[in-house]
Formats: sequence, structure tokens, C-alpha cells
Amino acid sequence: MRNVVIAGYARSPFHFAHKGELRKVRPDEMAAQVIEALIKQTGLPAQDIEDVIVGCAFPEGEQGFNVGRLIGLLGHLPISAAGATVNRFCGSSMQAIHMAAGAIQMNAGEVFVCGGIESMTRVPMGGYNPMPSPKLMKDMPAAYMSMGQTAENVARQYQITRSEQEEFAVGSHAKAAAAQAGGRLDAEIVAINGVAKDGCIRAGTSKEALAGLKPAFMEEGTVTAGTSSPLTDGASAVLVTSEDYAKAHGLKPLAKIRAIAVAGCAPEVMGLGPIGASKKALKRAGIAAKDLDIVELNEAFASQAIASMRDLDIPVEKVNLDGGAIALGHPLGATGARITGKAAALLKREGKGLALSTQCIGGGQGIATVLEAV
Amino acid sequence: MPSRSGTGPKLKIGRVGVIGSGVMGGGIAAHVANAGVPVHLLDIVPKDGGNRNAVAEGAIQRLIKTDPAPFMHSGAARLVTPGNLEDHLDRLGECDWIVEVVAENLQIKQDVYRKIEAHRKAGSIVSSNTSTIPLQNLTKGMPKRFAKDFLITHFFNPPRYMRLLEIVAGPDTKPKAVEIIRDFCDYALGKGVVDCKDTPGFIANRIGTYWIQAAINHAIDQGLSVEEADAVAGRPMGIPKTGIFGLLDLVGLDLMPHVSKSLLATLPEGDDYRRIYRPQALFEKMIADGYTGRKGKGGFYRLAKGADGSRVKEAINLMTGTYHPAGRPRIDSVEAARKGLKVLAEHPDKGGRYAWAVLRDTLSYAVSLVPDIADQVTAVDEAMRLGYAWKRGPFEMIDQLGAKWFAEKLAGEGRAVPALLKTAADAGSFYRLQGSTVEHLGTDGAYREIVRRPGVLLLADVKRGKQPIVGNRAASLWDLGDGVACLEFHTKMNAFDADLLGMVKKAVDTVAKSYKALVIHNDSDNFSVGANLGLALFAANVALWPAIDQLVDQGQKTFKALKYAPFPSVGAPSGMALGGGCEVLLHCSAIQAHAESYIGLVECGVGLVPGWGGSKELLTRWATMPGMPKGPMPPVAKAFETVAMAKVGKSAHESKELGFLRPADGITMNRDRLLADAKETALRLAKRYKAPEPQELRLPGPTGVAAISLQVEGLALQGKVTRHDQVVVAELAKVVTGGEDADHIDPIGEDKLYALERQAFMRLVKTEGTLARMEHMLTTGKPLRN
Repeated sequence: MRNVVIAGYARSPFHFAHKGELRKVRPDEMAAQVIEALIKQTGLPAQDIEDVIVGCAFPEGEQGFNVGRLIGLLGHLPISAAGATVNRFCGSSMQAIHMAAGAIQMNAGEVFVCGGIESMTRVPMGGYNPMPSPKLMKDMPAAYMSMGQTAENVARQYQITRSEQEEFAVGSHAKAAAAQAGGRLDAEIVAINGVAKDGCIRAGTSKEALAGLKPAFMEEGTVTAGTSSPLTDGASAVLVTSEDYAKAHGLKPLAKIRAIAVAGCAPEVMGLGPIGASKKALKRAGIAAKDLDIVELNEAFASQAIASMRDLDIPVEKVNLDGGAIALGHPLGATGARITGKAAALLKREGKGLALSTQCIGGGQGIATVLEAV
Repeated sequence: MPSRSGTGPKLKIGRVGVIGSGVMGGGIAAHVANAGVPVHLLDIVPKDGGNRNAVAEGAIQRLIKTDPAPFMHSGAARLVTPGNLEDHLDRLGECDWIVEVVAENLQIKQDVYRKIEAHRKAGSIVSSNTSTIPLQNLTKGMPKRFAKDFLITHFFNPPRYMRLLEIVAGPDTKPKAVEIIRDFCDYALGKGVVDCKDTPGFIANRIGTYWIQAAINHAIDQGLSVEEADAVAGRPMGIPKTGIFGLLDLVGLDLMPHVSKSLLATLPEGDDYRRIYRPQALFEKMIADGYTGRKGKGGFYRLAKGADGSRVKEAINLMTGTYHPAGRPRIDSVEAARKGLKVLAEHPDKGGRYAWAVLRDTLSYAVSLVPDIADQVTAVDEAMRLGYAWKRGPFEMIDQLGAKWFAEKLAGEGRAVPALLKTAADAGSFYRLQGSTVEHLGTDGAYREIVRRPGVLLLADVKRGKQPIVGNRAASLWDLGDGVACLEFHTKMNAFDADLLGMVKKAVDTVAKSYKALVIHNDSDNFSVGANLGLALFAANVALWPAIDQLVDQGQKTFKALKYAPFPSVGAPSGMALGGGCEVLLHCSAIQAHAESYIGLVECGVGLVPGWGGSKELLTRWATMPGMPKGPMPPVAKAFETVAMAKVGKSAHESKELGFLRPADGITMNRDRLLADAKETALRLAKRYKAPEPQELRLPGPTGVAAISLQVEGLALQGKVTRHDQVVVAELAKVVTGGEDADHIDPIGEDKLYALERQAFMRLVKTEGTLARMEHMLTTGKPLRN
């Protein structure tokens, strides 16, 4: 079988929805700028692109139509590059990578641009016309349960205290702030309309500051805005090619895709999704969790990140070296490509061997990718 | 140019500069922005060397957070551009009017004027908001060009809400400049503009300060408690219920020494204020200790925590300076005052004696000042009504007492009778009715007709000396001329009951036969507070369900008849238009709202849903709103959220954002111009009027209920929605989604929505939770969170 590599990674800065500096930028135009920059950076001959696959959790409004195709056109890609939009909620752009990997191994193309977008300012969560099935609502109300509530359920099930969650969140901000200050985020960020820095990181946050916040989702709960990822605007993209193609065209692969998986779980504890998916992916890769050097675990909520780490037995030192979504932000559709591109880039930067990127997905599932150094 | 509707001259102020961003300067800038006019707000550069615009920028941020809001809507703040007095003086060259609102110091003001003079464009107008410095001093030594374009514009705090604007022109001021400012402040800012002479304190503060001092002195001399004094010198005298001490708490005790000081420095020798002025050791101590009123630790009243943690209102003892739980004084004369001011003033008890002493001194003083402070008594009365919210001005109060009676009583007590009072006593009164016109007494002893400014139409003037076309105890239909009729509500708080609905129907029938158009308007403080809750609760308590159901049905049929009448109807609200008061507006062909209208469907607060087509009309408005996302849910979500949270627009502009006003509906800034603007709108619509086509809506049905319930459950978990809230909004959800059998591919007619509203209303009114809410609202005036 052909090997599949991540041959490049770029993203927009991430900013708070509604009040951040990207609130006035259309998500399709933002993604087009990211993809244009990625192609320029990698030196890829654009005429070789088979498909542009873009993940989006609420693909309507400005991120509607078949936005994957439109982004390719906005990004001045050749007409011959096709375009698709894919939705697996928060796992959408990791799913885009998986689809590319599968296609490459099927010999159905060699070069794929896999991206993700979400303007949580310009398209509301839930979309403009949320119309749940009354039947499913009755039979299985958890199918539509709010994410915050699932985070509370996970905290309760794993007995994760508010203080533990806050400690984790402070750590995420500290790592992100250090990475930003040390210029370690600059290489991955494409300036959008002059905005070149992330906007969600709170460098000075402390356990004391977080302790003062009110529970965000349940009156008596433990999850606050400080221990949840913020509503975010952003876009991301990775270049996925066959290893042979990368070699032949002088691309500089960051990592090889070793295994992928998705797995369902109970919707009311959707935050545990990474556990099942990661276990499957690790097994398919023939390795154990302890073999991993680098883990990018999406921090939808501190509670579910802690629960997943605990269950998978992954030490916090290996997780989210430059901070996670609590600090950086979580533009739903864009996160999967960010953490997979980031895990690949970290393997190279840190000179390590094996990495995992994984995330939970609303409605009850998880997605995971195992990467290895090239 | 300012955004306004209605007739009137073309306003010549396109941009305004405000110098000084303190409480008054900021408030003036905000209110100019409310009129849609861009403002440059300039202040000093802070000494710390940081952001050079920090002072003005900080002022705008403060204004955005102030309650009650100085801005009428979120967009207004963006019209105010902050700057500083060193880098941005050139911006004054863009301004047609520059208002100086800096410290009350002649030197500082004249320094500012010299800067203004160097940068302003030809023909621009400069004014000062001074309350204490005479105009002749302000212009002394300034160039002639400046003096010609200069006047005083004295706003009251807060500038958005206080209707009075006193203007003073100097001997050099160009009449044209005065006219331009008068028109702008009248039409665009909605002010009642009163011409004053260049005398200390102008009109309102000259008399108001005297009144406060007299009332304090007599309270102390006659041994009245703070609560007793306010109980008498408040509502019974036609004065806001804060009375004297409550008013001082409101404006700040520390303001008074400044006002007194400046008056004492400028009042003529022999002015009676000098005689009655008395510094109070207790007040000075209160100020020194931070008891400056509501903005400080408390004042004459304060809220203290009781033993059980509840808040207790306490009042100060004027003799000892200690606080005690505030009493509710029972004074016979206060009860008797319902029969008139004279009954109060003649009453032999403590309250009567106090009222007489305060009235005697204050009214005598006011009479003695005309014509020194104003040419006509009408200006004085208007200034006190608009500036101090007195129901009647001093001369109107004297007429209530009887000018002759008052003069004789003064003489009987051996006191001086002012010359003008003698004239009035001889002539009979300060005001008199001649047919349907009112005349006022001039200082020459002759009566003159009171002439309103062009475009001012008051319902009181229309009604005077006339009979309504038709009417009952609840409402009357008046002829406005030109084929337009005006329906006036006059129940208590203009609450809706069967009689009022009956008159709405009668008005529809009458206008259809004999008139071109209908305006619905009244000149009460509040347009209508909604259905009469007391009647509804009474009926519910004795399980008179058919009667309630009948009332819901009557309202629906009445409002539907209004909506589909063959003539245009224009709702012209001012003040609160809540519940049924909002629903009647929503069924009009158009709304012409006073800017200070507070419109909302607040039924959920008392455990009900709108029953007279309110939800239906709001849904329809959102469904036809340009720029809404497509699909069945966006209008449903908007209407649901607005009604479920009982949102009330805090201005007509905000009501437009909430969808109660349509984009084309008009807003009138000046209350006195509302009826004329509404009439004009009605006549314009009448030219080619066609009743609306029946509206059909595509609603989501059960999937919409499911989507809403997800939101509500989330809020319930957060503790933001109570148990009975959930019951109420579940019923609302069924209404706004079109009911169990609705499907968004099938259009629904409005009769179906009326039926859904009626069913939901009747289910809710039978629940314990709703009855408890209604009862709580009636007894406490506050919503119950059960």
C-alpha cells in the first residue's frame, strides 16, 4: 500500500467569535487565504491537486453551498482541482484528512488539500434553522444534548473536580502563552487581513481568576467558561500527499499517517469519544499509548480532556505542548486539521517518533489519527 | 442630518461639537447622537502621558454602561467620536454647533472659547451649558463675531430624559442663530425650549432652589419628619413623589451647596432667597461623611439590611441625625388633597399648615420674579413642569388656589402681595378659557391666546371645550380635523378591559363610516400598561373561565377588525405600551412612536402568553423582515426569545431592533409633536390606502418546539429559567411554531394563530403558578419568580 504523508500545515490566527479581530472576515475567504499561503509555502505544483476537502460543522450561510469548492476558486486553485465539504461536527477537518488518506491508498489521487473552517460569529452554533427530529428527541433526548451538559456529565462520571479542571486550563494558557511569546506559533499562522497573532490566549490567567467564574451550563455544576474552549473564528489546512509524490516533487513531509479510526460513544458523554477512537487507531497502528511521544488532544472542555488522558493513560507532559483549544480556541470545523497538522509539525520540531491527534465529537463519537516520523 | 419624521423646518445642524465629557457633556453628546447627528466629543489630554483621548473615550464607555441609558440604541454610541483639545481642534471646523460644557469657571470657559473661535467655521453657533455664569460675563472681552453666534443652552440632568432646555440670548446674539438652535433642540432633541433672560439660575433652578430651601426650613421649623414632609410636598402638591428630601437624595446632597453659593454670588440684593438661605449643620456633616444621597452611602433615606437579611428603607431624623425604619405617615390633609390643592392648603392639620407655608413662600417668590426672569408666566410654568416635573407650574397652582383667595390670604397674614398677583386677583386668574382656547395673563393685565409652535398638536387642546364623537368610560373618539379621528384611552393606567375593547371596535366602525383615518393616542404618561390584571385575576379566582375566554376572543376580533379596516390606523405611543397596549399597536397600519416609548409583550412575566395576536404579529414582522436568514426557524426564534424573555424596548429605536416597530415606522423626538406627526402619517397613508392582504406564515410545527425546548432546557440547567417559566414558555413555543400539526411546507393563516394563542392563554390562566404570579404582581408590582 502507498504511504500517506502530511506535507504541510497552516492556519489562520484564532480569535474570539463576536468580539475578536476576525469577526468581520467571511470564513470562505479566510480559508482561501490559508490555502493559498500553504501552497506557496510548500512549493506544490497546484495543477496536481486532486481535491479540496473542507470540514465545517455548520455548513450554511457564508460557509454554505459547497464551500469546499468555492474556497478552491477563491484561493485561485486551478479549475481542475475538485472540491467537497464534509461534516463530522468538530471532527470534520480530521475527517477530511482521513478521506484523503483513503483515496490516496485507493490510488484515487495523490495530492489533497484538507482544510477546515468555522466562523462561530457569522454562522450560529446550531445553524439558522435548527430543526431536530421530535421523534429522536423523545426516544433519545441526549442525541441533541448541549455540549456543556455533556462536559458536566463527564466531570461527574470521572469525578473530576472543578479545581482539577481549572489547573488544566491554566496549564493550557501557560503553554500557549509561552509558545506565542517564544515565536513558536508564528510558522503555522497565516496573517489574515493583517491579523497575525492568536487572540484567545490569556497569558495572565490564574487558578484564582478562574475560581471566580460562575458555572456556565449548570447552576450547581463544575464547568465554567474558563474550563471550556471559547467560541472561535478560524480556518486551517494541511497538505496530504502520497509519500512517493512528496519525494518526487521535493516537498518536505512532516509525518506519515500510520492509522486512523472513528468510534461512537454515548451522546451524553460525547467528551469520552477520543478514548474509543484512539484505542482503535493505536491497535491498528500496532502500538500502545505508552509508545506515543506527542499527543494533540482537543480540549473541547477540560473535563473531557482530563477523562480521556486518564482513561488512555497518557501523561499530561506529552499533551498539547503549545497549548490546546481552551487557550487557542476551537473553531469547530477547523480544529481537526489544526491538531493533526500540529502533531505532525511537533514530531518534526521535537525530533520524536510517534504522535496521536484525537478529538471528541458532539452527538457521541471520537476520531483519531496516529502519525509517525518520516 | 438628523433622522426624524414628520413636518418641520429643514434643520441646519449636521454635526455637533461637545467640549467637556463630564456627566452633562457626555449626556448631551449622547442625546445629540440619539437624534442621528454625529458628534465630536473633545476633552483635555490626561497628564499621565498615555492615551491622549482617554478622557473622552472613558466618557463614552461610561455612557454605554450608565442606567438609565443615555443612548437610545446601540448604534448611537458609534456616532460620538472622541478626541482631545490639543490634537483635534480642527474637527470643530466641521461642526455647525459647538456646545461648551466645561467647569463653571469664567477663565477656563473663555480659554476654551478662544480655541473654538480660532477653529470654528463661519456661521457656526457656539453655546454654553452654564447654569451659573451670566452670558454678559461669558462674552465680555470676546470678539464681536463670537458674541453674535453665542448663546446659553442650559440642559437638565440627564439630558436625554429631562425635557427642559433653557436658552438665553445676549444683546448681540443673532436672532437667526437662536432660531436654528431652538429648532434643532425642539425637533431633533425633543426638548421643550424655554426662552429665559440673562438672570441668575434662569427660571427653573431659580424657583426650584428657593422651593427646596423653603420646604426644608418649614419642615425643620414645624417639626415634620422627612417622611411627613415628602408625603405632603410630593403628589398632593402635584410634585413627583420624591418630594423634597427624596429629590435631594436623587440629585445628590453635595450639589446644593454649589448651587446656593453661585446663586448667592449673583442674585440681586434683597432677593428673598438671601433671607431664607440657611446652611444646615446636619447636611454638611452628611456630605462630609459620604451620605450624599443615592450615589453615596445613602442620604435622607437609605436602604439598610434588616435582621433577616431583607432590605429595609430607613429615614434620617432631622434633629438627631440618626436613622430609623421609614414610616408611612398617615396625614388627614394628604387624603383630603384629592379634592384639590386649596383643600390641602386650608387644612388645619400639620400637613396642611406645612403645605400652606411652602406654597405661600414659593408661589409668592415666583410671582415676584415676573417679568424679571421671563416675559410671560407661561414660560415659568413650562420651565417648572419640564425641568422639575411639576404637574402644574406656580401660576397654574395659584389659579388652583384662586388668585384672589391667595392674594387676600397673603394680605391677611400681613405679607406683601406682589404686583402681578394683584393684577391676577383683579382680573380673576392667570389663565382663562375662551371657548376652546386658553389665554394667559400678561404683565399689562391683558389676556393673550396661548399659541403653540407650528407642528405642535396636543390632545388636550383638541378636547378643550369639545365633545367626543363617541365615547364611554374607558375611551373617547375625538375629531382631529382633516378627516382624522383620534381614539383616546382613559381607564386607570389605560389598562384594557371589555369597555375599552368595545370603544376600539366602535371607533373602527365610526371611522369606517365617516372618516379617512384613525390615530390611537393619548396624553397620559403611559400609552397603555396592558390588560386589567385585577379583573382577570378576579374572574380566575371564581373560575369564571368563560368570561376570560370571552375577553380573549373579544380582543382578537377587535384587533383583527382594526388591522383589516378599510382605512389606515396609526398608533402613536409615548411611555409604556405593554402587553395589550403593545398588541393594539401591532395591529395598526403604522406606528408613529415617541422616542421615549417603552414597548413590549410582557405577558410571560405574569405567567401568560399574549392572547390578542401579539405573538402572531411579531412573528409576521420577523417573517417579512428584510435580510432575515431563510427557513422557518429564524422568525420563530426571534419572536419566541422576545416574548419569552418579556423584552421591552427601552426607546422607540430599540423597539425597532426588537421588531415591534417596522423599519418604515416613524419616531418623533418631541412629545408635543407626536400627535401632529401621527396625523400626518395617517393622512399620507389614507391617500392610496388598501387594507392588508391576509398574511400566511410557514411555521415548523413540532420540530420547532423540539428546537426551542433544547434551548430552554439548557437555560433551566443554568438556573436561568424557573419551573413555571418552563410551563409558560412551553405554551408559547406551541403558539409560535404553529401548533402540533404544522409543517413548514404548508402555509398557516392567522386565524389558526389566534386560536393557538387563545388555547395557550386559557390553559395557562388555569394553572396555580400563573395565578400566583398575577396575584404577586397586583400586590407588590413586581414579577414572581416561581
